Amino acid sequence: MDHATPTPREAAKGNDGGEFQSPALERLVRALGRLPGLGRKSATRIALELVQGGGETAAELAESVTAAREQVRTCSRCGAITEDDPCRICCSDKRDSALLCVVASPVDILPFEKAGFFQGRYFVLGRLLSPLDGVRVDDLPFDRLDARIREHDVRELILALDSSVEGEATALYIQRMIEDLDLSLTRLATGIPVGGALAYTDEATLHRAFQFRRSF
Amino acid sequence: MRLLEASLLDFRNLAEVQLSFSPGVNVLLGDNGHGKTNVLEALNYPALARSFRGARDEELIRFGSEACHLRLAIAEGEKILDIEVGLDRGGRRRMRVDGDEVHRRVELVGRLATVVFDPQTVELVRGGPEMRRRWFDQGISSVDSEYLIHLQAANRALKQKASLLRDVRRGFSSLGTVSRDLETWNAELAAHAAPLVRKRADWLSRAAQAGRDSYMDLSDEKQELQLVYKQGVGSEDPGGTDADFSREILAVLDYITSDEIRRGRCLSGPQTDDVDIILDGVSLRTYGSRGETRTAAISLKLAQAEIVYGMRGVRPVLFFDDIFSELDKDRSRKLQERTAKDHQVFIATARAEDVAGWEPAGASTWTVHEGVVTIR
Repeated sequence: MDHATPTPREAAKGNDGGEFQSPALERLVRALGRLPGLGRKSATRIALELVQGGGETAAELAESVTAAREQVRTCSRCGAITEDDPCRICCSDKRDSALLCVVASPVDILPFEKAGFFQGRYFVLGRLLSPLDGVRVDDLPFDRLDARIREHDVRELILALDSSVEGEATALYIQRMIEDLDLSLTRLATGIPVGGALAYTDEATLHRAFQFRRSF
Repeated sequence: MRLLEASLLDFRNLAEVQLSFSPGVNVLLGDNGHGKTNVLEALNYPALARSFRGARDEELIRFGSEACHLRLAIAEGEKILDIEVGLDRGGRRRMRVDGDEVHRRVELVGRLATVVFDPQTVELVRGGPEMRRRWFDQGISSVDSEYLIHLQAANRALKQKASLLRDVRRGFSSLGTVSRDLETWNAELAAHAAPLVRKRADWLSRAAQAGRDSYMDLSDEKQELQLVYKQGVGSEDPGGTDADFSREILAVLDYITSDEIRRGRCLSGPQTDDVDIILDGVSLRTYGSRGETRTAAISLKLAQAEIVYGMRGVRPVLFFDDIFSELDKDRSRKLQERTAKDHQVFIATARAEDVAGWEPAGASTWTVHEGVVTIR
């Protein structure tokens, strides 16, 4: 093996096996490495760009992180990420309060809003039931959801939850919770993606799509 | 269905192996510990998307290598299927079918239909209920892709429920706070248990019939082999939809909740299902002789192969790993001739005399020595 040429991993670590000669840079790499989806290698690349790269990037990043930390909050009504509380969607009088869409996480609202077809309001649970991760019925805002349904006279509750076991269990709990209320409960359909080729659809999806086929 | 070709790279002790198979009988000869079973394990990997010996993926990578790779060409009628699997030490698994990447186990499982007979097979009758559950879980998964989805979901729901019960036992949670959680997870478990129990009942009634026929074929005494499905969650199937049945199961699960809380674990559900294996009215697990137990276990595996043919119209590939030393000559020959008639078979054995004097047309024989496979 040729010892003169370090592998990229060795180069990224520095020659003495792991840490930079600058503690400040090392601290930055470690901080970045704690972010979701970033390993040490990517963290190092980003840190070097921030420290050595030209332009305003670093200053802008520092300033925008601080500003975002101060200004961003969650909507006390629906749980969406917002700067105004209640959020724009909850305040809008163009939205139909009788339609309430339940999602697990604030980011799940984005695809709906981007598509723009949904004119109801949202309710964010924050997480899905999962005792293995310490999430129980008491940890989710079901009481607030119940109050919201009653106060706003919701007619249809739309569950837009993952089709995982945890998503299903959370849906089952909500189904039981509203059993005695007079409103319709729906779940998003699962099936073949629009424009998708039938031949490349996996069997589980195809089976669901077949099971819930509709008259045409 | 038959295997045409295989190339294996860094799989267990096999550094690099390229093989073209006979459509009929394929024999691997070699001393124990030289890699015969490893070849079978590699060839069977796509059938379950895991090792039939229950090994973790990482254990399949050759000592000192970072990754292993296997590629199989499989013929099903006129169609040729190309399956590739790569496993690395980071726990990544890459699977391709006809060049297209697939991401989930369920998308690979069952494409290659196989049945494995190995020294463990006799445990199907002798061993604990988990051996029989593994048998029917694998058997049903290979003919019904939906089954595995329900099985994985039920197991996940059970894990979630078990963690609730564990927390109560350890005093981390009070009873009052988890009762709604338990009801919810019971409902989720019941939703998947209903289709599981129905599919098991149906498959086992097919297996009972085919198993009885196989036993008659293999044994000289005309004894009757019977299977009785013991449903762990003791609720009657009312007929109707899966939803109707899952309500019945849920009623039973809710009824035993206080017991489960006291004991701190899940007591009943699809995970406690079992099958009684009976010969002429007597339970084989307790009273079977060595010969009866072995013949019954082999009959049940043959039944599994017969169901694949009945439901999918293909004859699965059969793997015999070192089982003929356990059988008398007469019975071995009967089994070899009976299976080689309709199936492609792979026989791994350390004793050449197990197949001596039996030369079916077009058979291929290899020797396996220190991870090197050579044609004879």
